[in-house]
Amino acid sequence: MGGNPAVEGVAGKRILELTETGEARSGRRSDEVVIGISPAFGAFFSTTIVGLPHAEVLRELLAGIEEQGVRARVVRFRHSADVAVIAHTSAKLSGSGIGIGILSRGTTVIHQKDLVRLSNLELFPQAPLMDLETFRKVGRNAARYAKGESPEPVPSRNDHMARPRWQAKAALLHIKETEFVRAHAEPVELGVEIRMAHAG
Amino acid sequence: MSTMGAAGEEPSVTPRRSKRTEILENRPVNLDGFVEEWPEVGMVAMDSPYDPQPSVRVENGVVVEMDGRTREEFDFLDQFIADHAIDAEAAERAMALSAIEIAHMLVDPKVSRDEVLAVSSGLTPAKLLEVVKTMNVVEIMMAMQKMRARRTPANQAHSTSARDNPVQVVADAAEAALRGFRELETTLGVVRYAPLVAIALQVGAQAARPGVLTQCALEEATELELGMRGITGYAETISVYGTEPVFCDGDDTPWSKAFLASAYASRGIKMRFTSGTGSEVQMGNAQGKSMLYLEIRCVLVTKGAGVQGLQNGSISCIGVPGAVPAGIRAVAAENLVASMVGLECASGNDQSFSHSDMRRTARLMPQLLAGTDFVCSGYSSVPNYDNMFAGSNLDCEDYDDWNVIQRDLQVDGALRHVPEDEILAARNRAARALQGVFAHLDLPSITDREIEAVTYSHGSEDLPFRDVLEDLKGAQSVMDRGITGLDIVKGLEAGGFADIAESLLGVLRQRVSGDLLHTSAILTPELTTLSAVNDPNDYAGPGTGYRPTGARWEEMKRLRHVVSARNPEEEVG
Amino acid sequence: MTLVVGVDIGNSTTEACAAEIGEDGAIRYLSEALTRTSGVKGTTENVAGVVDVVRRALTAAGRECGELDAVLVNEATPVISGLAMETITETIITESTMIGHNPETPGGVGLGMGSTVPFADLPGCVAGSAVICVIGAGVDFEDAAAGINAATARGVKVTGAVVHADDANLIANRLRHPIPIVDEVTLVEKVPLDMPAAVEVAEQGHAIRTLSNSYGIATVFELDAEQTRVIAPVARALVGNRSAVVVRTPAGDVTDRRIPAGSLTLIGEKTRHTVTMDAGAAHIMETARRVAPLADAVGEPGTHVGGMLARVRDTMSELTAMPVGEVRIRDVLAADTFVPQRVTGGLAGEFALENAVALAAMVRTSKGPMKLLAAELRDALGVDVLIAGVEADMAVLGALTTPGTDRPVAILDLGGGSTDAAVAADGTDIHSVHMAGAGDLVTKLIDSELGLDDLDLAEEIKKFPLAKAESFFHLRLEDGTVRFFDDPLPADTFARVVVLTDTGLHPIPTRHGVERIRQVRREAKRRVFVVNALRALERVAPGGNIRQIDFVVALGGSALDFEIPDMIADSLAEYGIVCGTGNVRGCQGPRNAVATGLVAGYALSTTYAGPVAVGTQSCAPRP
Repeated sequence: MGGNPAVEGVAGKRILELTETGEARSGRRSDEVVIGISPAFGAFFSTTIVGLPHAEVLRELLAGIEEQGVRARVVRFRHSADVAVIAHTSAKLSGSGIGIGILSRGTTVIHQKDLVRLSNLELFPQAPLMDLETFRKVGRNAARYAKGESPEPVPSRNDHMARPRWQAKAALLHIKETEFVRAHAEPVELGVEIRMAHAG
Repeated sequence: MSTMGAAGEEPSVTPRRSKRTEILENRPVNLDGFVEEWPEVGMVAMDSPYDPQPSVRVENGVVVEMDGRTREEFDFLDQFIADHAIDAEAAERAMALSAIEIAHMLVDPKVSRDEVLAVSSGLTPAKLLEVVKTMNVVEIMMAMQKMRARRTPANQAHSTSARDNPVQVVADAAEAALRGFRELETTLGVVRYAPLVAIALQVGAQAARPGVLTQCALEEATELELGMRGITGYAETISVYGTEPVFCDGDDTPWSKAFLASAYASRGIKMRFTSGTGSEVQMGNAQGKSMLYLEIRCVLVTKGAGVQGLQNGSISCIGVPGAVPAGIRAVAAENLVASMVGLECASGNDQSFSHSDMRRTARLMPQLLAGTDFVCSGYSSVPNYDNMFAGSNLDCEDYDDWNVIQRDLQVDGALRHVPEDEILAARNRAARALQGVFAHLDLPSITDREIEAVTYSHGSEDLPFRDVLEDLKGAQSVMDRGITGLDIVKGLEAGGFADIAESLLGVLRQRVSGDLLHTSAILTPELTTLSAVNDPNDYAGPGTGYRPTGARWEEMKRLRHVVSARNPEEEVG
Repeated sequence: MTLVVGVDIGNSTTEACAAEIGEDGAIRYLSEALTRTSGVKGTTENVAGVVDVVRRALTAAGRECGELDAVLVNEATPVISGLAMETITETIITESTMIGHNPETPGGVGLGMGSTVPFADLPGCVAGSAVICVIGAGVDFEDAAAGINAATARGVKVTGAVVHADDANLIANRLRHPIPIVDEVTLVEKVPLDMPAAVEVAEQGHAIRTLSNSYGIATVFELDAEQTRVIAPVARALVGNRSAVVVRTPAGDVTDRRIPAGSLTLIGEKTRHTVTMDAGAAHIMETARRVAPLADAVGEPGTHVGGMLARVRDTMSELTAMPVGEVRIRDVLAADTFVPQRVTGGLAGEFALENAVALAAMVRTSKGPMKLLAAELRDALGVDVLIAGVEADMAVLGALTTPGTDRPVAILDLGGGSTDAAVAADGTDIHSVHMAGAGDLVTKLIDSELGLDDLDLAEEIKKFPLAKAESFFHLRLEDGTVRFFDDPLPADTFARVVVLTDTGLHPIPTRHGVERIRQVRREAKRRVFVVNALRALERVAPGGNIRQIDFVVALGGSALDFEIPDMIADSLAEYGIVCGTGNVRGCQGPRNAVATGLVAGYALSTTYAGPVAVGTQSCAPRP
């Protein structure tokens, strides 16, 4: 998998630059996947609940999609911090009908536009168990759905001791993220640049 | 291998650490999560400047103001509590007492439980909060000892299977009953399996030590249907919440929950609600109130709905109060509030809580030492990897520890040590009984090999796989054919298990008499009801109330290994 | 008037047919019932199922148990079948010489040639040298692309790359001069270094042309005739791939080894023949024909086939309580199949479809238990129980109640364990045979060829048609038509090939397309049922001549299959035979033939031999 030096120290840290390029529109290309990010992703927050930098997370999602020969658009949602809403709305904006929704803490969903919101193609509810390899596979699978293929779902993991360790922090992160929700704000299209810190 | 931008070129500047810090750092307790308080969003256990001040005003027998809000300002929880949970006649007099006076009544053994109930029936949520805020954990335990509804403590177990294997559930249910649990709860990984697993739980519950009540946690409609058919014996997972938005997220109101409760009552089926500290802040909608204040609202909604009892003690949100200061004190206090308004309290201790054995035991102490109606709700009677409620604070690997703690402190946690031969016999017989029932009902067969395996097994990993597709078809046919508890009775009779059939019939008969609708009702192995009506808690200080004595104490003295006094070369038991 | 119930105890279901027979032998059919067979067919465990089905049939007819004159049971076919499967070829790479796992997303297009160089050594390569870059685990795709771009800028000819991660496109997209890249090579560290190599990637939807052609490889590496002969298996293994790597190592070798699977000795009543397993199914079946009828079969001890037959015997002995030494194998059916197997010595988890032979064997059981069964039934029902005929004979009588049939008629009973045939010419003589191999073997073939490792799913694939969920609102069925839905399909079916079962859509979790799965399914059915139908009819036909039969009626559970009867009918059409699925009594379809035949047979016998003395025992319910 792609190296993740950023997790190891300052030396190889990647910087995520997100620039708003205007209101997000419905895509027409059938070979695209829309990645929807939550209000504070890569903004107030810079890492997931277990400290994975958002720059690396987004890079892996994008790489997983690109490797399949599919295009990606990144959209920020400001009106909700509900991962189902973000993923489902992303899917509706996507020309292929496939979208990925991700919250700052790492909770992720692959969605399809014709599903009801509370359903999904693949759900990764346990944010503490999400690593970069999993994010790469999420991108890969979303792209394969967009191509009409039938990928094996990314294996889901479970850990009943996640509750004592992460439940309260997850609640804090959720509340914090919710503070950035603005009721009627439209989703915005983002330009994404991910580069090494020392190269800049 | 990368030659570009390789890490590690800069010299490492990690400060030197002591060896002791390293050892402490690696203690399991440091795997637990802890967070700072944040009262503005409700991330605070019980002491928040944003909780309302107690107040009440009654006009013409109607509560027109409560905790600083007028009737016009009430949300639906306020309205439901004011109209159905608070005794308007008692309110102004009760509220006139100071919180400290009321707390003294709770702790003072000379003040009877009934006297406290007369006062608490007029208290508002903010007042109840103020009362328990004056109490430390020992005082909370003293009060709990007196306010618990039923004199005899009891315990509840989870009996589930990671593979939803009914053969495992029937054997573990029988063993759990034999070890002393009076209620058994199951749930499913694959929901469609529910009818088969619920049948297994019911058969196991009556197989070794009769009279154990069973429930199957499912979405509400199916859970009710299984109850009405007599495939299960009671219900518990009817959740209520402390703020309007969280209630509405589940498309519910206090009235809809009360309606569901009356559906159970109409069939003579025991039921209780479930709530717990932390659920509102977990869902991001605590409206800036402390966890305990919101939980007290849940307690009063339960009381207002006319339900006899409540499962609380944070339950599935235990990681949230567990992470903030005084969180476990708040959890003990919420159990007490349920008991002090006269409800049956099934007091949690039912979810994985800590990586540290020391900490998970400490969390249990207030309920175990004081005694509650159900100390755990529930204790995992299967290894935690099989626990489909995502793991419990205690599992079947803790049985011996529990029995020793009971014996050390002479405290009744409602369990007992059972010799292995009795357990093997019970597991085997229960599985054979289920084999007979499945054969009689034309459900997928249970092989002798499965029975042999489950007799000696620890968890689902030790059992042969079942044909899941066949099982699911069988489960569907149970629903389609309208199979009821009476069909299970017939199956047991036809299979040659007349005594188990008799016990199950006895349990089903209870719904005609309605005795299980009384507060905190359980059935003894002789199928008599013990409840707050015929076994009321009569604690009145030292030398009174329930204490393990006589035959029960002798039973508690037995452990797996006790050296014989007569011949120290042998063990007794 | 005589009230009787005919009961057919089958492998999986027990069927009953209640009827009244007049003094003149006229039959009035009253009702029928069906239940699951309790226990192993032909044993006393069957009693519970029989009692149940008799009661149900009587209830349906509105008659009392006390009115019953006799229960007729068939002489259950005394055969039980077993299955075994063995791989007979193996692909072994003795030195790392090729990478042919065919990743889904290779990068770039074209053919690159050069010497293999690890990524870390790229800066040390001299300008003008042609290299294939080997990129190990942990190298980021941006770093990889930058390194290759830098080397290219210095004049190093980087012509291709081999990558550990799923990064081929990510790297190719970042190169100033794209090159063919093969990725997901899990054992990349085993790629021999400093060796001449070639990397080839074809356009999407195309297959490689050079490395899959022996002379192509010979051209690339300038091989002589002898060397080309040695490398030929490599080319063969790469046919159909979209991407491949070949590294020319001095000792490199790929073998396509045949495993000595042992030999099978078929013992006939007059003669015996030995045949090696790796000769394939056709040869085994030809030999079986020559020794027919088979008296027993023995596998060479210490070989795969020896083990296979030993397993069959063990199972049989367990089921029938016969000593292992007395178990005789009375028929075998061999079918060629493929099993996906990991290539020994592969660098990227390559799988090859290896040849395998599946063998169904059939054993005759003793008739003892039938009498015991009848006696216990008599006790349980309190009524006369007659063992009233051989199963196949009764099936013929039942089949003849299908409208439009006449003698000479043959029946094909397509079951789960065995395929049975019987023929009735003009007389009353009925000739029958039992053949090994039926529905269960088909399931097993589907399971192994698709690499499912899930017999329940394979069973569903056998029984139901396929479709692909192209969106949440429409399915493309296997016949190419489209079915639309108003409500969205379940989420787990999206974009998947599904089986249209009677309990809903079940997704098939493999990469196989509809076409491939359909082909495997139909081919498995053909190799078992069509082969067995011809084999069985040949054995029962007068003079061994299938053309002597005019009508063939298909019966049994597999006759309900949506395509097997048609496949058999197609193959019989060339013999001028009318073949179709039975419709017993004009209303039962292919079911209830034996039970009906028992009643019909009983009626015949009463008219020939006068009224049967019928007991008047009461039929009290069992205590």
